[in-house]
Amino acid sequence: MPVTFGKTIVRCRDVCTVEEALPLLEFLRTGRNVRVDLAGCTYLHTALVQVLLAVRPRITGRPADPALARWLMPLLTESAVHAV
Amino acid sequence: MTSLLERFIPEARDYLEQAASCLLKLERDPSADSLINDLFRSVHTLKGASGLFDIPSFTRLVHAAEDVLVAVREQQIPMTSALVDLLLDSLDQVSAWVDALDGSGGLPPEADGLSAGLSQRLRVLLPQSEESAVPAEVTTYAPQEWLAEFAAGEIGMARAVAQEADMPLLALDYMPDEGCFYRGEDPVGLVLQLTGLQALRIRLRGGQPDIAGFDPFRAGIVIRALVVQPRQEVEHLFRYVADQMSLGVVSAEGGQSAPASGAAGPGAGATAALYPMALRILGEQIRIAGMGGDDEGLIRRIVSVEATAARLLTALGWSVREGEMAEVAAAACAGNAAGLIALLTSLERRLEAALAPAMAETSLAASAVSQIVPPDVAETAGPEGRPLSKILKVDQAKVDSLMNLIAELVVSKNSLPFLARRAEEVYGSRDMGREIKDQYAVIDRLAQEMQRAIMDVRMLPVSEVFERFPRLVRDISRKLGKTIDLKISGEDTAADKTIIESLSDPLIHLVRNAMDHGIETPEQRRTAGKSETATLHLRAWQEGDQVMIEVADDGRGINADIIRAKAVERDLLTAERAAGLGDQEAINLIFLPGFSTASKVSDLSGRGVGMDVVRTAIEKVNGQVMLTSEVGRGTSVRLSLPLSMAVTRVMMVEVGRGLYGLPMDGVVETVKIPASGIRRIKQAEAFVLRDAIVPLVRMHQLLEEPKAPDAEEEAVLVARVGGSLVGLVVDRFREGIDVILKPMDGILAGIRGYSGSALLGDGRVLLVLNLKELL
Repeated sequence: MPVTFGKTIVRCRDVCTVEEALPLLEFLRTGRNVRVDLAGCTYLHTALVQVLLAVRPRITGRPADPALARWLMPLLTESAVHAV
Repeated sequence: MTSLLERFIPEARDYLEQAASCLLKLERDPSADSLINDLFRSVHTLKGASGLFDIPSFTRLVHAAEDVLVAVREQQIPMTSALVDLLLDSLDQVSAWVDALDGSGGLPPEADGLSAGLSQRLRVLLPQSEESAVPAEVTTYAPQEWLAEFAAGEIGMARAVAQEADMPLLALDYMPDEGCFYRGEDPVGLVLQLTGLQALRIRLRGGQPDIAGFDPFRAGIVIRALVVQPRQEVEHLFRYVADQMSLGVVSAEGGQSAPASGAAGPGAGATAALYPMALRILGEQIRIAGMGGDDEGLIRRIVSVEATAARLLTALGWSVREGEMAEVAAAACAGNAAGLIALLTSLERRLEAALAPAMAETSLAASAVSQIVPPDVAETAGPEGRPLSKILKVDQAKVDSLMNLIAELVVSKNSLPFLARRAEEVYGSRDMGREIKDQYAVIDRLAQEMQRAIMDVRMLPVSEVFERFPRLVRDISRKLGKTIDLKISGEDTAADKTIIESLSDPLIHLVRNAMDHGIETPEQRRTAGKSETATLHLRAWQEGDQVMIEVADDGRGINADIIRAKAVERDLLTAERAAGLGDQEAINLIFLPGFSTASKVSDLSGRGVGMDVVRTAIEKVNGQVMLTSEVGRGTSVRLSLPLSMAVTRVMMVEVGRGLYGLPMDGVVETVKIPASGIRRIKQAEAFVLRDAIVPLVRMHQLLEEPKAPDAEEEAVLVARVGGSLVGLVVDRFREGIDVILKPMDGILAGIRGYSGSALLGDGRVLLVLNLKELL
């Protein structure tokens, strides 16, 4: 499975598809101080991006996909939150 | 190309054909409600079916046409000639795309632009209403506000890149629809595919959400980006979600020009015609879902199944419980596909249930679906009140192969009489011979019936050829500036497929000829005291075993004197001979090659490639062309063609070393004449048959076979050739048999005297004679 759960870490590797969104959300909901490691991620579905934007956990690791690394990482690791 | 696309293409062509036909009729009779409904139905079904493939530009254009038709139906806009033109142009474009799909499996690159252009021209005609494809939340924004999201540095960089690339800086505003995940869309993934991405912002709509109640599967983001890339490319990338995004140009001063939003995407709402296809797709998805495995391929498969199912639901306008699809898909990814399969199967059952009554009005597209139909499905009336019986769409190749098998059967059965003879003569078993002959009679009858049945399958109505003419006449008459009223009758008359196909080119030529040369301009007609609108009549009917086609106009007719003069002018015959010809014979000079009376060759009918080509084409299928005309009143060209290329019954005769066949319909009788009964008249021989003197022809001379020794009696076959009787002296009569006559091929094709060859039961080749040519 591309998304694996440790005690305080979620690893998103390779292709993370839309179905991973719910497990990810549920894990992040528990309120534990966890971090999300995107190292080795080649694809992240919008639903997961959405979850990460909503929960704003700590993001570590650098996605393997260059577009994800370049465009998504800055958005996910931004400290400020802008409303629409 | 997938088999689904293979099925879509001929169906799409049918819908387009129907639509065009309705449109032309509607132009003449704008108030006909049934026509507008039929037209709408064809376009609507085409739209729905196209939604299953990756061809959004196609669907978008058809959708625009559909919306216009709705407005016409609601009497909000009139069906003017200009609108008919625009709709015909749009249908032509869609038809060209169907051809592209047939050839390469995809649409050409300019399709998006063309689709947008034509859709725009159509939509502009719609009555302005509140109807719009804009999502509920606001898309109007002040340029400064929008750009303010981005850091000044980013904007500056983007502008610099745009300038460097000499392209406008585009501002993309993309608000994915809430349910887009269920449709298999991935907005972020889509945006990341922009190669010219300069800056990106992704926000959650409505600020920070409450995590407890957050639904990850409901898309709630807004994406904004600055892009330096050709607009067409961006539009193409976003072709599926054109209604959820808008693309504007960032002007040099930091403002923004008016966004151009995409047109509405394919609408929901399916008709019965979709169900068979949807069923096929579902079946395939269920199979894939059940494939199991626990590799990465499994996830990809499940994702693909889920996406396909979602699109299917959208196309059908159905839905499942929110989140249900995602749940079962997730479970399937985890290895348990039972839920997914159950969901898909329930959809399948819904489709089957929906199909049962719907089947009555649509044609069956695949045998896989046929077992669902209850055996006594009612026959519903078609649009013109004709009862629609169950129709099978069969590949032509299958019918052809059936025909070949039957042909071989016909030939093989012919070996049985030979066998019977061998049994008697060689093996001395007369009883055996008789039994074989009896069985042969049964098999012969069955084979003949089978042959007739398969020939029947190949029968097509002439409407197949006629249906292109309303459009042709309309277009050409406009080009020529003449008003021509086309009347078609007898389009149900049927003939063999080969015959029908051979009619197409000659008819086009005849019709063009009539419109170009035969029919006068409105002024000329008025001067002549005729109605300004000319009539062109296309008729078909059956006479005996012939199919008759007539192209008649009420134009200026053919002047025999002019023809005579032109023929002499072109050195086709001498002035004396020309003067000696009667009027009808003179008119028939038109059939000579190299003849064209039009002093100015119009681009339509060409030069001299005229009636002789028509005649050759028709005679190739054993037909005839007849032309009659009356100066000032009009011209009529009549084609007579055989109904089918059936089996020919021939009489076999022995002449010298060879075995020859004579078509039975020319044979009058067989007689044995005593040598004394043959009279010599100058060089020729003749004999008396009852009260007539019948000329005699020695076949061995004609066919250059060795002469048989003189006998007391001569075997004479009396035949009717060109209206008169002739006696053919042969060595021996043999039996009559049925053969499939194959015309002479290749280098032998030019040899006169033979209508073709046939294969005998014992493998020998029988040459069938054409007496008209021989004698």
